[in-house]
Amino acid sequence: MDGSSFDTDVRVRLFRQFVASGEPPTAEDLAAGMQRPVAEVRAALERLAAGKAIVLQPESREVLMANPLCAVPTPFRVRSQGRSFFGACVWDAMGIAAMLGTDAVLDTSCGCCGEALAMTFRGGEALAAEGVVHFAIPARQWWENIVFT
Amino acid sequence: MLLFRGEEHVARWCAQWSQPRGAALTIDQAWRLARAWYQNKMDSAWRRATLEETEGLMASLGLGGPFWDLR
Repeated sequence: MDGSSFDTDVRVRLFRQFVASGEPPTAEDLAAGMQRPVAEVRAALERLAAGKAIVLQPESREVLMANPLCAVPTPFRVRSQGRSFFGACVWDAMGIAAMLGTDAVLDTSCGCCGEALAMTFRGGEALAAEGVVHFAIPARQWWENIVFT
Repeated sequence: MLLFRGEEHVARWCAQWSQPRGAALTIDQAWRLARAWYQNKMDSAWRRATLEETEGLMASLGLGGPFWDLR
């Protein structure tokens, strides 16, 4: 198996486990499931991070973001199929609903006044809801460094 | 990216934080962008879109002008 194929397997397993449990798997979890050495999985995670497919935590090097999924709680929660997921921003949270492909509800609040806001996704569509999504950072900057969006 | 109740709230937030106004998308525009960007991220065939593909996506959603320029 070449490195690229292995990296794809690691990425797909990471996302599927994250979605199935609502929690990001550790490198050890992934290695155990794939019956491969942890060092190989960690190396694959580093390559995936270098390719901007995921973001690793700065010190532990465990998964911080399997974009659009975020490993830590944020003000952008998506509920679907009895589980909760978090996006790093409202666009990522919408991306979670898109990636899951299931009916979902996004809970957040107005960035200005803090009033609770929600979006409902049903049958692959975003139902009409109050609000506008504001992108503060020009596209070139988030394209170059996706973690800061 | 944050969600706001409306344009007035975007303007208030920008003034409060001394931030220039960026780009405000409708829920439908943001949903189409999110869907195109992320819906196949779990698939084995996923790969990061190229610059040209991303430019094409933005153009198809009517996202043009300096704010959306990737180059």
